[in-house]
Amino acid sequence: MTGPQVVPSATTMLRTQSAPRRGMPVLLRRLMPLIVVAVVLVLTYVWVSSLDLDSIEQRTLNADYITARIGEHLVLSIIASVLVAVLAIPAGIAVSRSRSKVFRGVVIGIANIGQATPAIGVVILLAIVWQTGFTTALLALVIYSFLPVLQNTIAGLAQVDPSIRESARGMGMTPSQVLRRVELPLASPVILAGLRTALVFAVGVATVATFINAGGLGDMIINGLKLQRYPVLVVGAILVASIAVLIDWAAGVVEDIVRPKGL
Amino acid sequence: MPDITTNTGVLTSLAAQQGGVDIVLDHITKQYPGQQRPAVEDFSMRVEPGELIMFVGPSGCGKTTTMKMINRIIEPTSGSIRINGDDVLSLDGNELRRHIGYVIQQIGLFPHFTIAENIAIVPKLLGWSKARIAERVDELLRTVQLDPGTFAQRYPRQLSGGQQQRVGVARALAADPPVMLMDEPFGATDPITREKLQAEFLRIQADIGKTIIFVTHDFEEAIRMGDRIAVLSDRSQIEQFDTPARILAEPANDYVRSFIGEGAALKRLALIPVTDARIGSADAAAPAVTVDEHSSLREALDTLVLTGAARVNVTRAGAVVGSIDQAAISAALGSEGPARRAEEA
Amino acid sequence: MATKATVSLIPGTGLNDETGALLTGFNWEDLMAFLTRRADDILELTRDHLVVVVVSVVLAAIIGIGLGILVRNRRIARTTVLTAAAVAITIPSLALLALLSPVLGLGWLPTVVALVFYSLLPVVRNTVVGLREVPVSVLESARGMGLGPTRILFTVQLPIAWPVIMTGIRVAAQLTVGIAAIAAYVAGPGLGEYIFKGLSSLGSKNALNYALTGTVAVIILALVLDGILVLVARLTTSRGLRA
Repeated sequence: MTGPQVVPSATTMLRTQSAPRRGMPVLLRRLMPLIVVAVVLVLTYVWVSSLDLDSIEQRTLNADYITARIGEHLVLSIIASVLVAVLAIPAGIAVSRSRSKVFRGVVIGIANIGQATPAIGVVILLAIVWQTGFTTALLALVIYSFLPVLQNTIAGLAQVDPSIRESARGMGMTPSQVLRRVELPLASPVILAGLRTALVFAVGVATVATFINAGGLGDMIINGLKLQRYPVLVVGAILVASIAVLIDWAAGVVEDIVRPKGL
Repeated sequence: MPDITTNTGVLTSLAAQQGGVDIVLDHITKQYPGQQRPAVEDFSMRVEPGELIMFVGPSGCGKTTTMKMINRIIEPTSGSIRINGDDVLSLDGNELRRHIGYVIQQIGLFPHFTIAENIAIVPKLLGWSKARIAERVDELLRTVQLDPGTFAQRYPRQLSGGQQQRVGVARALAADPPVMLMDEPFGATDPITREKLQAEFLRIQADIGKTIIFVTHDFEEAIRMGDRIAVLSDRSQIEQFDTPARILAEPANDYVRSFIGEGAALKRLALIPVTDARIGSADAAAPAVTVDEHSSLREALDTLVLTGAARVNVTRAGAVVGSIDQAAISAALGSEGPARRAEEA
Repeated sequence: MATKATVSLIPGTGLNDETGALLTGFNWEDLMAFLTRRADDILELTRDHLVVVVVSVVLAAIIGIGLGILVRNRRIARTTVLTAAAVAITIPSLALLALLSPVLGLGWLPTVVALVFYSLLPVVRNTVVGLREVPVSVLESARGMGLGPTRILFTVQLPIAWPVIMTGIRVAAQLTVGIAAIAAYVAGPGLGEYIFKGLSSLGSKNALNYALTGTVAVIILALVLDGILVLVARLTTSRGLRA
């Protein structure tokens, strides 16, 4: 599955680059993506309002249509991400715990192949073999987003200092207590980063879900292209990009809130 | 005769000097913007050619900052620095540094260069021929007790800490600079390795006689190695600048005394060879354990204490030539005063 | 080959008659015949795919490393560039390609522009991180020996940062191979054409063959390219740097 695995996104960049110093105040930096997106959306709206829309464009560029598409897009992305979290994190824990080198080797092998697989390929293959529609798109999203979360869970757990684990056991904690109270909290920044990546992937792949009749904002983009109606195309693209950036930003905020203090 | 009115001329004449040159620091001050007090305040010192000067002081007193101003890694806020009579502040920094050896605690070997390539850096910058560089690399590795055949083509990560430190020293010596600046160069090693490195370095210095500024926070190291020691306090103020023997015998104030700590007399004894004391005739009743005439009085005292005897015999090349007692040893301490000073004046 | 999209991934759910027919309709000989008949076509598409990826990654490397070098010591510039690149990568590729099409049309040009765009973040970020991670003691000893800043950049910092930079290029290459597949929708070059042909011929006998061939070829291309880059990285990195 192509895509950066532990690439920090916009807001992580902002956070890691700063200790509050001269320059922009921290709050402004934190809100920057929000502000930029808001400005872009406002400009787009103003631009569209100034246009003379023909009937085709009017059918697409109205509140009902747009809201419906956004809804489909978000539902798809969020359900997929939740499913991924529920499936991939336990899987990651299982792989980390496993002593079998063969098992780990197989998982890593699958991961490498997965990294190389194009999302569009997965989507279309599933559609051919099974059926088109929402569920297939959901499945494709889950498959595609599974890897980053799996890999990050494994990596996050691996980077927990073994001596911390040892001292926890030494205090009498059971393995599952160590997992719940020590390892997972310490691994959470990396795991959350993976979830965040998965979420952004989900939004991205949901865009091509349109090819298999799963709805979403991709519809606007495709229709705009097919019918050569650039306003429709541009609005669809900008909306999708804005949603992606906003969701990434929101995920970053959640990441900051959930992160254990002291890390 | 190189024209010493131009920058190139100055550097060329510097390059031509291989034995030491003198260094004069005149009212050097370093003030960092936004800080209340200067890091180095009004520091003046004259270093004679070929001297090994130790800067000793606690962390943060400014000793390293002062040293780093000599090769202008840090630029002085005011004051002047002259090497061999020439004002270094008017020279190009990079050019200047190619003629000053620089060794830091973390060594800083280039990980992506072989040992040979690391040592060759400055000679290459100065345009030496390949043959000359290769010869020099071999020579230097042998000087620091590393077999060129084994080590020249290795990479830093393949060497132990002590070995890396030695390469660091070799690298600083590569272009044969007249001045060396060393900032806790043996600090990152264990005590045993450190002692070996110190001894080795003293041996090298005996041969080449460069002018060296050596920064350390370890007073014992300073005593063991320095020709003269500058005991420094906050803002690099010089509390005392003198030979190890005299600092031990006559500390200028309580601050210096605090460095010496307990056992000043014993430390002084370590600096005086047996030959400097009054040796009496051989004693038949003395125990079998003897002391060589070139060992220090501290070892002689150690032997006396260990055996509990009144006298121990002194040997030269294995043959007994006399004996020594505690009184003679103590007397030697006392004569480390006016008589000695008169001798050296 | 069919194992990729069959029962193991969809345990017991919704396999309907249609799927069954498709599955039983699928067989090796059919696929082999398909591949043999279209061998030239496939190779040409693979070549195009590879070319567009290489061109984009090389461009991204030049621009990205250059940018990384320029902003490595300037906090505000660095944050701006990195943030912009990070935002770029968040934008879904179809959206970006669509936005470029009114201006750049369809085909190679918007594809290359989009691919360079996406490749910039990994390259710039890794360049910056790599350069800044050079140990301070190495930089200080270099300065102490009289090397000037430019010489230090090119003979010390870049070589030491190179493994990290190459990793960034590898990530960019993997990214690019996948996104190039989507670019086929805007007439971009490469194997995406087959994947979309699979879509457009949905229901026909060859749909699966097209999509499968396209997808698997992309996977193989990505893995081979990564292998080559690993080799290149190893050959261009000093032996002293390998952990």
